[in-house]
Amino acid sequence: MRPQIQNELRRRNRRNQIKEFVIQGVLIASSFVAILTTIGIVASLVFEAFRFFEKIPLTEFLFSLEWSPQTAIRADQVGASGKFGVIPLLTGTLLISFIAMLVATPLGLLSAIYLAEFAKAKTRDIVKPLLELLAGIPTVVYGFFAALVVAPIIRATGSGAGFDISSESALAAGLVMGVMLIPFISSLSDDVINAVPQALRDASFGMGATHEETVTKVIIPAATPGIIGSLLLAISRAIGETMIVVMAAGLAANLTLNPFEAVTTMTVQIVTLLTGDQEFDSAKTLAAFAIALFLLILTLGLNIIALRIVDKYKKKYA
Amino acid sequence: MLKKSLLLSLMTFGLTACGGGDIKPDSIKSEVPASTESRDQIKIVGSSTVYPFATTVAENFGRSTSFKTPIVESTGSGGGLKLFCSGLGDNHPDITNASRRIKASEVERCAENGIFDIVEVKVGYDGIVMANSRKSNQMNLSLKDVFLALAKDVPDGSGGLKPNSYKTWNDVNPALSTNKIEVMGPPPTSGTRDAFVELAMEGGCKTFDWIKALKKTDKKAYKSLCHTIREDEHFIEAGENDNLIVQKLNANPNALGIFGFSFLEQNADSVQGSTIDAMPPTFENIAEGSYPVSRSLYFYVKKDNVNKIPGIYEYLAEFMSDRASGPDGYLAEKGLIPMNLDEHSEWKASVLGLEPLMLN
Amino acid sequence: MPNYILSTSRQMAKRHAREKRFKWYGRIAIFISIAFLVFMFSAIIFRGASAFQQTKISLDINFSESILDPSSSRDPDLLKRANYKPIVVESLLSVIPEVTERRDRNRLYKLLSTGAVFDLGEKVADDPSILGKSKKVWLLASSEVDLFMKGKIDPNVSEDLRRLKDRDIEWIEILKSEGRIKKKFNKTLFTNGDSREPEMAGILGAAIGSFFSLLVCFLIAFPLGILTAVYLEEYAKKNFITDFIEVNINNLAAVPSIVFGLLGLSIFLNFFHLPRSTPLVGGIVLALMTLPTIIIASRSILRSIPQSIRDAALGLGASKTQTTFHHVVPLAMPGMLTGTILGMARALGETAPLLMIGMVAFIVDIPKGVTDVATSLPVQIFLWADSPEKGFVERTSAAIMVLLAFLILMNICAVYLRKRLERRW
Repeated sequence: MRPQIQNELRRRNRRNQIKEFVIQGVLIASSFVAILTTIGIVASLVFEAFRFFEKIPLTEFLFSLEWSPQTAIRADQVGASGKFGVIPLLTGTLLISFIAMLVATPLGLLSAIYLAEFAKAKTRDIVKPLLELLAGIPTVVYGFFAALVVAPIIRATGSGAGFDISSESALAAGLVMGVMLIPFISSLSDDVINAVPQALRDASFGMGATHEETVTKVIIPAATPGIIGSLLLAISRAIGETMIVVMAAGLAANLTLNPFEAVTTMTVQIVTLLTGDQEFDSAKTLAAFAIALFLLILTLGLNIIALRIVDKYKKKYA
Repeated sequence: MLKKSLLLSLMTFGLTACGGGDIKPDSIKSEVPASTESRDQIKIVGSSTVYPFATTVAENFGRSTSFKTPIVESTGSGGGLKLFCSGLGDNHPDITNASRRIKASEVERCAENGIFDIVEVKVGYDGIVMANSRKSNQMNLSLKDVFLALAKDVPDGSGGLKPNSYKTWNDVNPALSTNKIEVMGPPPTSGTRDAFVELAMEGGCKTFDWIKALKKTDKKAYKSLCHTIREDEHFIEAGENDNLIVQKLNANPNALGIFGFSFLEQNADSVQGSTIDAMPPTFENIAEGSYPVSRSLYFYVKKDNVNKIPGIYEYLAEFMSDRASGPDGYLAEKGLIPMNLDEHSEWKASVLGLEPLMLN
Repeated sequence: MPNYILSTSRQMAKRHAREKRFKWYGRIAIFISIAFLVFMFSAIIFRGASAFQQTKISLDINFSESILDPSSSRDPDLLKRANYKPIVVESLLSVIPEVTERRDRNRLYKLLSTGAVFDLGEKVADDPSILGKSKKVWLLASSEVDLFMKGKIDPNVSEDLRRLKDRDIEWIEILKSEGRIKKKFNKTLFTNGDSREPEMAGILGAAIGSFFSLLVCFLIAFPLGILTAVYLEEYAKKNFITDFIEVNINNLAAVPSIVFGLLGLSIFLNFFHLPRSTPLVGGIVLALMTLPTIIIASRSILRSIPQSIRDAALGLGASKTQTTFHHVVPLAMPGMLTGTILGMARALGETAPLLMIGMVAFIVDIPKGVTDVATSLPVQIFLWADSPEKGFVERTSAAIMVLLAFLILMNICAVYLRKRLERRW
């Protein structure tokens, strides 16, 4: 080959190699944004939470049963005593999430089973988008609905039956949160049920079982780990939900399991503490970050467990 | 091909973001000669009681001048003063609303951060009411009842104190109903809270002679006793949003809410104010001073910012104008109890002269 | 033969009955879920439909030059600030002359919205030639009058429990009999920003704020998401770093949205000192939230592109970059765009993170750029839901309807794109 052509080819090769290298660099860099975000979240929460734990001991935060954070804002003012125990918030969160799951689990699971196994294609085509619509409604709309429509109805029904139900009852917030979770559980369970191999179904039919017996005695038990994983993911979502509870749940910490009473949740307190006075030196503002860190650990923990269960389950049938 | 069209659409998106173009079709908002680097929009924070008045004036100011409408945030008087006194730069607010007078400690803090000239503006008067839903009976309370129902520690009858264990209004005063004590009130960031503890709680506290004597011997203990509110389920801190308290009262006829008179007036069809020491909370009673829980409303301006941020002086002019805060002004429509003509002209003169605050 | 046939028939009947019941459980579950959906939508439409109309009062206004522009300067600023109250009162009195006392005249004037004089001001400033003439103008009525016309104020309730007194109702009836008070299409809802007065409050400011936030979100999340997905699917080797990135992305997808708001507050506002309450910061926070969704969706699309495409390109001598960006990505683009649109739809409805970065102020002006202070549509709904004036209840519901309409539109776009441009491999 003529030397000029050879050199030209070598130069072009070099240029292309550099181009490839640069492009690959750009791609790796953009992937690192995800890592940077995680680092950012953890750093911001941990940093501020640590400043909080310098003022309030971790043991009080984790084990004290009182939450009364509105401390005095000036030296010459008299405020609340400043109790920062997270347990009342945790019970409030769990109570509302529990009510939500009571509503969402049967409705979501049964819908998913019916749609996956029994429904005709035409029914699926109509119902699935409608359920997806439920999933797409912004949580602020759910919150508005809970506070202005559901809560008064529950309160009126309660007083008619002789109960004194608070207008910010855990029941109202939990009910609407449950409705929000129905499509979540439904679509996750749908995936899980469809992942059960056809072979199991065929074997069951071959033995003479009815469709329902196949579903209840073969498919559901097989899909159980996957379903439990989906439920855990739903609980995680419920715990982290903010707008529905800000608009429909209460503001005062209340250590109770009574769904007719008003409780407050971790997310409500984060919002309350950070809208308004925001001095990043007071225990009050920093408490919001401590709660957020606690919340993050809880939801991530649930998620990791859930994904591990679902993974193991999928591997069994892969 | 697809990449090119994608790139093109991204570029057009980007251009629209930077340019914007005049979105509002009807206005002819001309360019304001703003100073070189600072922002050109007034930032106001502070009291949730003054918020409805400040926002109304801000909106009218924005519509009738070519300045941008000021941004108003409701942070509570205490929170607002903290932000106000944190510094002089663009990131800090220019004006803070307060439903109580600024304290000496706050003026000190301002000075520490370089803010020396503060213009005090009195807006008018306001009464603090304890209201409940019209679905229930109106309550007739005395200051003593209020103190005994809400204090953290109450007199035990033999010259000492005990933690407050009263559960119903009847426990506090046999003449009152047997309803559970459920009061929703403001948090410590709120000026309404400060005013309430100083006027109502302290007012009731003082009716005990031995506590009144305590004021002279141990002022700190006196204050702590009279100003500390109980922290159980009988007093609920309902945040800075007074509208929310009104809504909750409608939903819970048994509860009482503590907020400013303007909110009572705006919602007179659904809530009613309790009488305090036999005085109903009416416009006339508060203006005369016969309703025991009334206070003045203020806002504070950084004098240095008047030259830096365009429009502050004109905003002050609008606020102090007769059509706004005068006896027949639009703020009185919103529930503000305006100053009388003489006092109003006095304040107008001192504010428009930008006289700095002297705390005596 | 023993009665096997009979016994198995009974057993079979029981088993079939159980199956029938089970199928009904499923149907009922679906029915209840959809019933909730219908209930919610009808509750909102019921409350919000009336907001699309607004009561206006027509008056013959004499634009007297001596009152409005005595110096004949025709200066727009002065014209906007002129005192329109006397000419409006004059016109009202010509319709209802019985009103003589000053207090009563003030009350009559209050039938109109406080913004009506500002509308007049802007009208004259736009077209000063109107001075000196007399014209019939439709002015905005106050919120109480509007609620009465919409049947939401009960005149039979005792007078001190209402804000609209009996005399006001008498005057309204007079105006009605002359055809001077009508409900017209509510343009203000769509052309105004937020306001203290319900009759003047509109969603334009919030909608533009949402638009700018989504714009910033798209500009950041779309390229980053696509590039990350491409890297993870096409280039990355199976090693520790790749696993770490994947785990990170899956975790980020599960983080509650409020935590992203805290991230925005502490790092973008406090550390980088970006301007508070702006679509810029809102968009960045939303982008970080939407990124995992876009990445996960794009990866599954890329995975579905057959390997034969890549092999063919490589076989013809294309480099890795050429294969990926000239062949694989264009084929995957429709699916990736669909995933992005769905991610944007979710970001549009987000409220909590925006509350944390300060978008809760009272903002009247329409934002003109990404660094202008703004709010967003869901935050505006949240703020209005707290307002006590009854006029805001219907507006909140109307704003929700507009938001839902946008969301449904975006979802339909995404589904249409998917159906249209999808290729079956």
